[in-house]
Amino acid sequence: MHYNGDFLNLSGAGHQELAPHGGINHKGDFLDLLRYAKYPLKIELPPETARHGADVEIAHSTTVVAVLYRDGVMIAGDRRATAGTSVIYDRAEKVLQIDRHSALAISGSPAIAYEIARILEHSFQYFRRSQLQELSLEGKLRMLSRLIRENLSMALQGIGGVIPIFALYDLNADDDGNGGKIFFYDALGAHFENVDFATTGSGSIWIRGVLRYLSRFGETALHEMDQRQAAIAILRLLDIASEYDAATSGYNAKVKIFPTLKTVTRTGVNTVSDDDLAAWYAEAQPNVEE
Amino acid sequence: MRDEPYRWIEAIQDRRDYIEDELRLGSPVVGVTYDEGMMLLTLSKGQRKIFEVHDRIALSAIGHPADIERLRMLVTDTASVQGFQNATEDINLHRLTNYTLAPAFKQAFESIVGEAYIIKMLLAELGSTSGKNQFTGINFDGIVRTDPSFAVIGGTETIETGMQKYLTATKTDADRDLTTAFQLALETWAIGKELSSREPEEAESEDTQLETKQIYQIIDTAREEGEIEAGVLEASQQGTSKFRLLTSQEIEEALK
Repeated sequence: MHYNGDFLNLSGAGHQELAPHGGINHKGDFLDLLRYAKYPLKIELPPETARHGADVEIAHSTTVVAVLYRDGVMIAGDRRATAGTSVIYDRAEKVLQIDRHSALAISGSPAIAYEIARILEHSFQYFRRSQLQELSLEGKLRMLSRLIRENLSMALQGIGGVIPIFALYDLNADDDGNGGKIFFYDALGAHFENVDFATTGSGSIWIRGVLRYLSRFGETALHEMDQRQAAIAILRLLDIASEYDAATSGYNAKVKIFPTLKTVTRTGVNTVSDDDLAAWYAEAQPNVEE
Repeated sequence: MRDEPYRWIEAIQDRRDYIEDELRLGSPVVGVTYDEGMMLLTLSKGQRKIFEVHDRIALSAIGHPADIERLRMLVTDTASVQGFQNATEDINLHRLTNYTLAPAFKQAFESIVGEAYIIKMLLAELGSTSGKNQFTGINFDGIVRTDPSFAVIGGTETIETGMQKYLTATKTDADRDLTTAFQLALETWAIGKELSSREPEEAESEDTQLETKQIYQIIDTAREEGEIEAGVLEASQQGTSKFRLLTSQEIEEALK
């Protein structure tokens, strides 16, 4: 008897006992557990809906950016969600906390991206709870790779591609060292460590060069900036992106919608408050009247 | 055997005696509340005994390690899947106990040809803003007991009664801080330990009144072979997961 009150499973498909009699192999793998519970991890599309390979263009209308600063990583995103040329929503959260020391910034199909973030969060927790230890940094990176690869068929059909930036803080870093780490993924799930910064989404092409400039020739190098300096730099970058990219929103003064900024540091993931953002935005845009 | 009711009852009784005998020397577990949450405490030898099940649920047990592990995974898996399919707020101890754990305990206990679970389990659930804290004890036969403020599990009922008596007699107010809660739980554990080391007949008749000095002697002796393990569900924890184990530093501090 395993009754979980799930109406979709009333037919009996998900009614097996989970552990004691079923004897599933225990290695703390949350995806195995979901498969066992008959949770549909993939959306199956009929083959005729597949687009021609050559036409594929992964939609990722947004701008998300992460920079390594003095205390760790600052990771940020604009708030606009679009469909074609329409603005659908202006309060989208594109930077999501995954656990105490990691956050994910998403560009691409929101439905799949949120699902990936959710599976990731639950996977890390499940590993810790079942195996009685935290999943290693490399283990966390691999988990995200697997999820992106699982989603490949959707990405290839041009409707569900997701390209995230993953920011973590490595607690094993020396006390005086910076444990902040930024990883960038491609559509196949390969991950690359970016040392100073990463940006993705349709607006990213407008700011990548600026980031490079700041990192290399800026008055204060990105990795030496304090929280305030890094936040001001990021607010300016997102402002540039919104200037040239229709799918990226700027600061909306009428309703006070700011970009999302989070810090990933030794003390955990923190969201920069609206009050701080308002003050820093005024500094970032000295000529703008509120 | 089922068509011979007397033999079935006898077999169940034998099984009960066997399991109780196996459990008698188990290291007791104490659950108490404090101003910021709930605590489970025990002394363990090498194997971990206090576990995180879900955001607001912790578990401990006495019994055979393999049975503990199996049932711990059953409830952890169930909570993880349900928390993912619905929302983590939809997970509650009442449902996990009544629909998942208690039936599994009862079934194993009464299937007299199958293997028995040698286990007594104690779970704690930190109440949300609307709900209340709850301790839930599940006996090997599937009988469930709940209490909002404290709970114990020990090898036999006599041990448990002795521990409960101590808890109710010494109970400081529910607003106690972490250190006071830790000391109260540890002392109660020592009472249980003392009772389990006595012969069953003695345990029942003898007075369980112990001097504080005696209690701490028992604890000191026990610490030579094992380690104090305490886990808390703490409302003030950042994030959704409220469970953490006390660090050895915190334990040393609280013992001073």
